[in-house]
Amino acid sequence: MDIDEIEQELGVMQLSDSFFPTGIYATSNGLEFLFAEKKIHGMVDLIKLIRTNIIQQLGPSDCVALANVFDSINKYDFDKVIEVDNIVFATKSIKEIRDASTRSGVQLIKCVIEFVRDDKVLNQYKDNIIKNKVHGVFPVAFAICCNALKIKKEKSMMMMLYGFTVGIVGAALRLGLIQHFEGQKIIHNVKPIISQTIKEYSNKSLVEIWQFAPQMDIVQMSHEKMDSKMFIT
Amino acid sequence: MTHIPRIGIGGPVGSGKSMLIERLVPMLAEKGYSVSIISNDVISKEDANRMRTNLATNRGLLPENLVIGLATGGCPHTAIREDPSMNLSVIEEMESKHPDLDLIIIESGGDNITTTFSPILADYFIYIIDVAGGDKYPRKGGLGIESCDLLVINKIDLAMMVGADLEIMKKDAEKIRNEKPFEFINCKTDEGIMKVTEHILHDVLFDGSPKSTITQKV
Repeated sequence: MDIDEIEQELGVMQLSDSFFPTGIYATSNGLEFLFAEKKIHGMVDLIKLIRTNIIQQLGPSDCVALANVFDSINKYDFDKVIEVDNIVFATKSIKEIRDASTRSGVQLIKCVIEFVRDDKVLNQYKDNIIKNKVHGVFPVAFAICCNALKIKKEKSMMMMLYGFTVGIVGAALRLGLIQHFEGQKIIHNVKPIISQTIKEYSNKSLVEIWQFAPQMDIVQMSHEKMDSKMFIT
Repeated sequence: MTHIPRIGIGGPVGSGKSMLIERLVPMLAEKGYSVSIISNDVISKEDANRMRTNLATNRGLLPENLVIGLATGGCPHTAIREDPSMNLSVIEEMESKHPDLDLIIIESGGDNITTTFSPILADYFIYIIDVAGGDKYPRKGGLGIESCDLLVINKIDLAMMVGADLEIMKKDAEKIRNEKPFEFINCKTDEGIMKVTEHILHDVLFDGSPKSTITQKV
């Protein structure tokens, strides 16, 4: 491994670390509602939930968006980056999820720009956030930050899906739904889903973006209305 | 973007953080300062809803939409220290939409004497404890008690009943605070609240005039 590769790997570790500040630890993506309603029980159910989220939402939507941002950056096409940002914002129909995605994305950009100052796209995207010309949704912000740290497209998709999985597992642990060894088993179990998703969605065009998980949408909408909750989503 | 001064109020569960805010805001509003409140809560919105009802709905001291409850994913300490992203995001929105605010108060619970606020989140840190935890509390120290800009010791009316010696707490606080200020208060009667207000006016607002265009007059 040469010096450049080591630096890239360190970038992967930095952005994937739960210590990295994006506020995602405060989200459960509807898991809290399922738990409160006693509609989810243990490890097997949790794997199904993560699987549904990845296959029906994150893969065909967020991963396609992320991949298209990478492709657009390679073609010096910033207008396309703006288009991806708008489309992702529009596909996030649940307010809590949309707000959380935007808040995390904007904070991610602000953090990375503190230590990567000379990346043109990163600066351009930040300027457009300030001018309210883009929303700053997480998949787009994440792609731009990964690109700024020289992390490749597929690896960035892997990091985003892994981060999502760990976020849900972390929320389940805090809710008392699973215990810590089960958490690691779940992450291990989800690996093939992540790798398959990357393979399937790394080269889709923007017009092929979709998501369809109506039951999850209802769960996430119901979470918005919970009187008492620990998580933002 | 305008930087609105921010006070972080932290302390153990039940120490009186929300009650302190409910006492401070009327005094600040009376002097013409417009204030917004962000309440971080392990179980979100209970405290925010109470403060909104008491301060905004019932008394009109600030608009209802300027009391915001924030869920912290079970990690109130993380939300104000290691990863204050969500709080910062809400504050940036406020600074953008309400540049005439004089002050933002950020409340965060947590059952831990090591609570501190990220310096990027709060310009001034008030740590509140109460006498019911025993008169050993200031002596035990901890980051919150030692590093805060102002230590507030609440519920002094209960001292006799719980066997807490206020004189011991005073001596220990003086020793551990190393000349930094502390105040004894009773939120139920407003005792000591004016002194806390004066600290805020002097140390945070630098005795400046209120911008005061949002707050409805008392």
